[in-house]
Amino acid sequence: MELDVQTWLKIAAFSGGGLAIGFGAIGAAIGEGHTAAKANHAISRNPEMAGDVFKSMLVGQAVAESAAIFSLVIALILLFSEFSATSFIMVWAVFSAGLCTGLGAIGSGIGAGYPAGAACEGMVRQPEMSNRLTTNMLIGSAVCQTPSVFALVVSFILIYTDYSTKPMWPMWAAVLGAGLSAGLSAIGAGIGSGLVAQSSCEGISRQPKATAIATNSMLLGQAITQTTAIYGLLISFILLFKNYPASDAIAPAMALLGAGLCMGIGGIGPGIGEGITAQSAVTWIVRNRESAGEITRTMLVGMAVSESTGIYSMVIALILLFVV
Amino acid sequence: MIDATRKIQKKYGSQAIFIAIVAAIAAILAGARPIGKGLLLGTIFSVVNFVVMAESLPLRMRQNGKKSVFFSFGGICMRYVLISIPLVLALKSEKFNFYATVAGIFMIQAVILINRLMELMHVKRSNIRPTG
Repeated sequence: MELDVQTWLKIAAFSGGGLAIGFGAIGAAIGEGHTAAKANHAISRNPEMAGDVFKSMLVGQAVAESAAIFSLVIALILLFSEFSATSFIMVWAVFSAGLCTGLGAIGSGIGAGYPAGAACEGMVRQPEMSNRLTTNMLIGSAVCQTPSVFALVVSFILIYTDYSTKPMWPMWAAVLGAGLSAGLSAIGAGIGSGLVAQSSCEGISRQPKATAIATNSMLLGQAITQTTAIYGLLISFILLFKNYPASDAIAPAMALLGAGLCMGIGGIGPGIGEGITAQSAVTWIVRNRESAGEITRTMLVGMAVSESTGIYSMVIALILLFVV
Repeated sequence: MIDATRKIQKKYGSQAIFIAIVAAIAAILAGARPIGKGLLLGTIFSVVNFVVMAESLPLRMRQNGKKSVFFSFGGICMRYVLISIPLVLALKSEKFNFYATVAGIFMIQAVILINRLMELMHVKRSNIRPTG
């Protein structure tokens, strides 16, 4: 059986759509499940607060599932759009778009569940802080969605770029690498950001007077945690927008695919590690506000060291892109 | 417990629908009929999704940690199908703008965040205001 470009395009779009929706559901389900489990715990401690816990859980889960809806949007575009088969690169691009959004939604879905769970437990501990806790939880959850937004942007670029003038070799590897870079690197950043937001919500419920510093240190911690996702986005953009000379050799294509994989996988660990560092820092800043400056400095140094492996990955990715 | 979530469903649902209707009328008057219709379609399903999510909460809450994740996964898959309806309609029909429909799908989330940010700004302004 001989398959033409249009048939391959359909195969790639259907499998990409399946991956997008499948991976997208994993993160949101774990995040929502975590929130529900924490809400159970909270209600068992104070059944009279069940109404408030329910409300907080509901709005938290609504925001947490945004990343899963991004995956759904891309999956449906892949399943129901007619793509022009001007180049065989498009086959790889649509597959990569599905993979990218699906992977990118995992971390944000899981991460957004952490602050929602902590807010549910926190409002039982400190009922008068319910409103402030919900607000802090929503801000933290919304920031957790940023890496999945990066993945969504790369997916849209992959789908709507005109590849008719690009050489098949090595461009197919560049589009696949771009999806892997943005999608995989978003996993660690999403989970890490969630850990930071969780400790901020816990801090507000334990030390209501430290609300402002808990929110501010959360935002600082989340911003740094997400830098590896930005590296992933950067490598994706370079992979997509750099001009490559046509080549029949396998090595240049493998270098581009390797660059995407290197940055994507290399971004997972630092994202989670930095999240753990900032999570601890926020916890102790809230408990000991007098030492906030010292703890923040230690946090920044710790995060910088934790991020070094992400920087190594980016350096290797850049070498693969520009030197090899 | 159920009353609390019903109140929040009504509050955010009605606000989302109101914003969508105003924006849709403005778009239709400006000659962008598919954008207005797409936004309204997406918002309606966003609200329905939110209501289904709220009504299924008690089911998830009755489970322990692992079962809760399993029920959440099932619920998400079911709601995926629900949200797919307007998106597929928008992709298949030129009567609805696809991107406006996507924007509508996120209307509940947008209303929740805007509400909270406005409350936060109100609290900050009250704290700054001099007393006496």
